[in-house]
Amino acid sequence: MSLSPGLGSPFPWLRDLQPEERGLCLIQLLHACANHVAAGSVENANVGLGHISHLASPDGDTMQRIAAYFTEALADRMLKVWPGLYKALNSTKTRSPSEEIIVQKLFFELCPFLKLSYVITNQAIVEAMEGEKMIHIIDLHSFEPAQWIELLRTLSARPEGPPHLRITGIHEQKEVLDQMGARLVEEAEKLDIPFQFNSIVSKLENLDLERLRVKTGEALAVSSVLQLHSLLATDEAEVVGRVSPSAPASKSASHNNHIQKFMQMNQHQKTLGEWLEKDVVHYHCSSPDSALSPLSLAPSPNMGTFLGAFWALSPKIMVVTEQESDHNGYSLTERVSEAMNFYAALFDCLESSTDPRASLERQKVEKMLFGKEIKNIIACEGNERRERHEKLEKWILRLELAGFGRVPLSYDGMWQANRLLQSYNYGGYKIKDKKGCLLICWHDRPLYSISAWRHRRQ
Amino acid sequence: MPADLDNSSTASGEVSGSSSGGNNPSQPQQSTTATPKKKRNLPGMPDPAAEVIALSPKTLMATNRFVCEICNKGFQRDQNLQLHRRGHNLPWKLRQRSGKDVKKRVYVCPEVSCVHHDPSRALGDLTGIKKHFCRKHGEKKWKCDKCSKKYAVQSDWKAHSKICGTREYKCDCGTLFSRRDSFITHRAFCDALAEESGRAHPRHPTPPPPSNRSTGPDPTAIVDSAPPPAPPAPPPSQSSAPSSSVSPIHSPELIETQDPAPIIEEPLAPVATVNASCSSSSTISSSNGSTTSTVFASLFASSTTASETTPPPQPQQETHSFTDLIRAMASHPDHTHTTVELAPPPTEPISLCLSTSHGSSIFGQERHYAPQPPSMSATALLQKAAQMGSSATNASLLRGLGIVSSASSSLSSSSSPSPAQLDIWGQRHMEADNSSVHHHQHQHPVLGLGLLPCDGGSGLKELMMGSTSSSVFGPKHATLDFLGLGMAAVGAGPSSGGLSALITSIGGGLDVAASFGAGEFSGKDIGSSS
Repeated sequence: MSLSPGLGSPFPWLRDLQPEERGLCLIQLLHACANHVAAGSVENANVGLGHISHLASPDGDTMQRIAAYFTEALADRMLKVWPGLYKALNSTKTRSPSEEIIVQKLFFELCPFLKLSYVITNQAIVEAMEGEKMIHIIDLHSFEPAQWIELLRTLSARPEGPPHLRITGIHEQKEVLDQMGARLVEEAEKLDIPFQFNSIVSKLENLDLERLRVKTGEALAVSSVLQLHSLLATDEAEVVGRVSPSAPASKSASHNNHIQKFMQMNQHQKTLGEWLEKDVVHYHCSSPDSALSPLSLAPSPNMGTFLGAFWALSPKIMVVTEQESDHNGYSLTERVSEAMNFYAALFDCLESSTDPRASLERQKVEKMLFGKEIKNIIACEGNERRERHEKLEKWILRLELAGFGRVPLSYDGMWQANRLLQSYNYGGYKIKDKKGCLLICWHDRPLYSISAWRHRRQ
Repeated sequence: MPADLDNSSTASGEVSGSSSGGNNPSQPQQSTTATPKKKRNLPGMPDPAAEVIALSPKTLMATNRFVCEICNKGFQRDQNLQLHRRGHNLPWKLRQRSGKDVKKRVYVCPEVSCVHHDPSRALGDLTGIKKHFCRKHGEKKWKCDKCSKKYAVQSDWKAHSKICGTREYKCDCGTLFSRRDSFITHRAFCDALAEESGRAHPRHPTPPPPSNRSTGPDPTAIVDSAPPPAPPAPPPSQSSAPSSSVSPIHSPELIETQDPAPIIEEPLAPVATVNASCSSSSTISSSNGSTTSTVFASLFASSTTASETTPPPQPQQETHSFTDLIRAMASHPDHTHTTVELAPPPTEPISLCLSTSHGSSIFGQERHYAPQPPSMSATALLQKAAQMGSSATNASLLRGLGIVSSASSSLSSSSSPSPAQLDIWGQRHMEADNSSVHHHQHQHPVLGLGLLPCDGGSGLKELMMGSTSSSVFGPKHATLDFLGLGMAAVGAGPSSGGLSALITSIGGGLDVAASFGAGEFSGKDIGSSS
């Protein structure tokens, strides 16, 4: 349902805006609103959201859609101040796991990112496993058979013959794994490769490594596509050493201020100008991360344990694909800015890669995949916030700290990825090499990073 | 009844010792006739009900305990002796296996210090206990002639000399293996190997395989791990002959490698053959998605077949693809004449291509969508907003609105890992050049947005530059004034002038807001809501 911009708004001039102006306006408004939300000035944020809602729409142009999801996320965050209200509003919302699967498949189909990641991952695995007779691959989020089908084909064409291949897939839903297993077994039989598929129905953070049943004598590969970041989720309140010197004081100050503001909620301001007049509580809390150093890592106990456990399994190669954006910042406004840039690029490339006739599917992806991520990044905190994307340099630090050594991705992989882009006629994408890792970019904006690692003796 | 333990050569060949299972001096002689498959106990854990037999060392070591009286030929078993006696026409008697249930016998080692001396660790087989005794407590009489290993048991020695010198597998760490499986297992965990694979790359430069020359990536990026250039050039004329496109790709390549000459000839040959064989995929056209995916798939298959990390001990069979040749070149300059083989038969690429019908696959059909005009894209908008934010100033407007320049000017809010976006809030490019914009607001409302009124010299710039000190909020009235004046000065009406002023004030307000650091909407509240 698209709201005609300007209708019913106190600013009829909004209706006359050109799309570009409207877009710019939206950007400014979003930033302002995010600041208000971050500062805790609820009624300002409220007004801001109102203004944005006149301009944004999930059916409009790219910027309008982005704004729609961002405002929803901001509103969601604000609503959490009233836990009871929040829960009540969400009580009848049903999660549809099958829809989620569909959306993920759509993302795979519509955008090249997953395909590229699979191609590069497979190439890295094949190279690392040369000469191996027993290969065991652990797939941290196993929902797309195409990835491994391609690998099966590659392996069956090896000169020394196919290895004995075992794939362990991890997913939260059993049906997905069953389907995956059936498909892969069928393919392996066709290719006459000794193959075994093990399913593990589990959330990644609850993964019990015993269930992986890694045997001695088999070469281990791990494929992690957009999964590792969820392990960075941690309850920040308990994390020590994250807080900058000024933060504690201001945190409580803001808390008080926010409550005061809330209590003194004035009547709804009519004019934009007056809204902007509002006293924005001075909230002084610079992000500890950025204050200390650009590359200080947010401590994360879960990640440490997880990586440590996998290190202990001595994988021969572990390929990690992650979003290339810093959505793990301490401060909300940072995250909003980063997210706006990142998802703007994603929305753009999704739009450009999708047939206009498939706009319904595109909208599904936007709403249920991107929108969900945006909501998580903006509205959630602590353990709830799982979309903790980080940039490649941070991942490099983390993995090196955990005892992994980098395996440079070969030119072959990049070449094949480029071939894929060409064969699909995906325009505008670029693949860049950065210190042996690959970045998938949309017009020079890196969106996903792929890096390969191996167990390294300390 | 206890017999003389050392008496090893009675006529009947009986030796018996203490028995724990029963009192009858039963025959210790193990029946050697084939029986239906005997149930084996776990090694080292004998049947508790079995009869324990302790033999003397002499008995154990003795061979040929049974001697023919006529010819003095020795036999290890009585049965064999009896059969031999038949030949002498002597009376013979083959002992049948005792009809009643055969008592399970276990044997203990006479060596006191040995772990198998304990009846609970007795071994179940006579031959086994003999060999054990010889190996562990005996003298090593047999020596391998190739190496220096010595053995006490002849069968061990024989088994070893079959293998000795036939070791085929050598790991890079230097360990030798005669068995393939142990070699492979070792390699999976070998440190040296891991080091090597980590070090030996970025991989060797690989030009595109023969059938896809024309769409290969830039040659310059081939060799090193240097950052690759822009995306591969759009497919040029597909009809270019393979050979012509080989050379340009190869020439920069060849500069890097040592033996330019041989390479050129070799790839051409396989190219021709490949093209001939993969006839179905030989039409190189990127517009035809299926063939490209076919080709790609076949490339996929072929390009990964060459050996990589460890230099092969002997020239390996390589496929037709250039990748392998060049790799071989890079790693073994002398391997210029590696045998070249074709990729998997042409039928395979076709079948790979057909996989696209199987639902989702990585290499599916092609799509033809023109990308959105960039001016409308969200990314472009964001960039524009960033630029406008950072470059726009309006000294006169600002001063006209009476901003007090009081605040200090460290821009800490934007110190966060800066996306371009945050530059809106004015870290750089503070130019006071838009004094005239004020007058153009009617015509260029968009520019109005850019009119984030900040000025190199005036207070709002400092405001915009932001500060983390609380003094920024000191001149609250200044801000208010600014905004109020801004509103008042231009009028909050629906006119386009009003529009631009509004947008201006939005901008101003945003700056003011943004400058006060990145705040946190009290984490506790958020966290506790779940």
